[in-house]
Amino acid sequence: MASLTLKDIKKVYPNTESGPKKKKKKQQAEEPGKEKANLQITDEGVVAVQKFSLDIADREFIVLVGPSGCGKSTTLRMIAGLEEISSGELYIGDRLVNDVAPKDRDIAMVFQSYALYPHMTVYENMAFSLKLKKMKKEEIDQKVREAAEILDITQYLDRKPKALSGGQRQRVAIGRAIVRQPQVLLMDEPLSNLDAKLRNQMRAEIIKLRQKINTTFIYVTHDQTEAMTLGDRIVIMKDGFIQQIGTPQEVFNHPVNLFVAGFIGTPQMNFFEGSRLVEENGQYAVEVMGKKVVLSEGQQKALKAKGQKSCPVVLGIRPVHMTLDEGGFTGKIEVSEMMGSELHLHMNVDGADVVAIIPTVGIDLEAHSIGKTVRFSFKPELMHIFDVNTGKNLL
Amino acid sequence: MRKVKDGPSAEALALDPTSRGAKSRRMWRRLRDNHPFLIMIFPAVLVVFLFNYLPIYGVLIAFQDFMPGDQIIGPYTHWIGFEHFKRFFTDVQFWPLMKNTFLLCIIGFVIGFPLPIIIALMLNAMKSKKAGKVLQTIFNGPHFISLVVLVGMLTLFFGRYGLVNNIAASLGGERYSYFLESKAFRPMYILSSNWQDFGWSAIIYIAALSNVDPGQHEAAILDGASRFQRVIHVDLPAIMPMISVMLIMSIGGLMGVGYEKVLLMMTDGNLEVSEIIATYVYKQGLTGVPNQGYATAIGLFNSIINVVLLIIANTTSKKFSENSLW
Repeated sequence: MASLTLKDIKKVYPNTESGPKKKKKKQQAEEPGKEKANLQITDEGVVAVQKFSLDIADREFIVLVGPSGCGKSTTLRMIAGLEEISSGELYIGDRLVNDVAPKDRDIAMVFQSYALYPHMTVYENMAFSLKLKKMKKEEIDQKVREAAEILDITQYLDRKPKALSGGQRQRVAIGRAIVRQPQVLLMDEPLSNLDAKLRNQMRAEIIKLRQKINTTFIYVTHDQTEAMTLGDRIVIMKDGFIQQIGTPQEVFNHPVNLFVAGFIGTPQMNFFEGSRLVEENGQYAVEVMGKKVVLSEGQQKALKAKGQKSCPVVLGIRPVHMTLDEGGFTGKIEVSEMMGSELHLHMNVDGADVVAIIPTVGIDLEAHSIGKTVRFSFKPELMHIFDVNTGKNLL
Repeated sequence: MRKVKDGPSAEALALDPTSRGAKSRRMWRRLRDNHPFLIMIFPAVLVVFLFNYLPIYGVLIAFQDFMPGDQIIGPYTHWIGFEHFKRFFTDVQFWPLMKNTFLLCIIGFVIGFPLPIIIALMLNAMKSKKAGKVLQTIFNGPHFISLVVLVGMLTLFFGRYGLVNNIAASLGGERYSYFLESKAFRPMYILSSNWQDFGWSAIIYIAALSNVDPGQHEAAILDGASRFQRVIHVDLPAIMPMISVMLIMSIGGLMGVGYEKVLLMMTDGNLEVSEIIATYVYKQGLTGVPNQGYATAIGLFNSIINVVLLIIANTTSKKFSENSLW
């Protein structure tokens, strides 16, 4: 059990291409008007992780989340010692571990592909690391059986991985990690290879596991649902940069930019482009779809404090914060998804696709079917206003 | 339309999937659907049939008093049963031949079988992949040297006035006739064979090692395994199925050492150890007054030993592991 500190961690993959090819690639990436490639290409090479700084408290469950190629797995691998840190400092507890071998960092890792040794039984897989430490046989047996008990895999100890299902293999992989009682437990997309139903089950298992073993967790996923349900805090990454760090509630309620707002939350937040923030006589309002919505008192104060001027903005409102059958906005229902307790309505609003989530209790389903026109509105305090140029949240 | 006589009607055949007609129709449909693959495999099957299976009928001369020009099966074929075999088993050369063949093969096997595995594991474990590729290329080079050139090289190095003897002589030592001494034959033969083939034989293991999940290595690193421990606990088990198959095939060919290189290295001085079954067959069948029936019988006996060894190896492997040829 230990805290971690990452200070300005950077990872650069050196160029292996020849000089002229490298120059051409860099020039293409820098061409104006052309969309930049995902990762920064410099003279040194491809920068996969940039200025990553994070303090992780002891026994905290941190989730690194982001789209593919954002640098989350690379960060995890640097913590594990499987990748060299190009610059920056990594502390586990008080120890600087940049140059410490992985086996001496007192960490364990669960891999996406399980990485179980196929020729060993479950027992042998879990005992392997302890045998390498030259522990006594009785001690190894005790630790393995304890871990197996926690994960409910005692009955599989004599089986080989190929005789197990995906979920069972994943539990063995977790068992192999926790049997060492590591200070930090790293998990690299451990549920990605499982089907949806099993993923939900295993998510609950991981939550229960966390309560049982009480160690520091660092969990990598591209699934924002996993991030929201598992993490004490979430680190959202894009293109090697940290976009936002916060609790699930913080990042859901106060996304710092358009990317975080669009990434967190299912269905995705509705974005109304072409909106405008206007300031008249000290009063702020947003002009959207031909209507003016006056901001709440708290929002007014925040903008006044910044001295915010009128500017074009992108207005964001979460589907679950839309109120139907009242208000000045109208939309035509194009898709109606019955989800049981909720109805997801995809509306055409002046050419834009807008999604609203409404509870199904007490509503007229016929009036909310495909082709029908409905009215909707949203509370100002639930609106998010993003600068159209920087994408940053103005509130 | 063909009538089905005294049997079920065509309708009944169509309805009953286990009927002969239904099975035949299924077979033709499978052939039709897979005909591109059958066309692709046909030349290989033809070659194997023409050059490996068709000549098998020639083993019949092992049971005949055969002279060149005789028909293998004809009105004048002189069958003598197992006489050739009896002659071979009672030949004064039998036990020396068996001993020489067995020793040459078994020592060659003991040294030559693990060597490519070790080389493959070492190359795979190298940090610098570039250096590994360079070494692999160097190790593969000798495979392309022909046997004649190889023995020529051995002569240049180990002949009475070769490099080694010249160095020894310049240092005050005596010249040693490596090619005339029985003691030197087996080491020279086996070591030169291994030098020539170990790199090439390692290729198949290197290919198998490239399929090892890198995650297993990373898991082993985190578990605290050293590089050597990872080779033992990750790489070696991963290629064990391949090793089992290669072992079975090697055991099956254990007594089948070819005559060409032995013949090239054979001299009057090392004859007592260099005369093996293959060279004896060659001499009996193609030199002097050829006795092809006798030579065929000896060759057939050698092949039967190999088949028996192959079956034993395969059965044993099947019993103790999940790997076998069939």
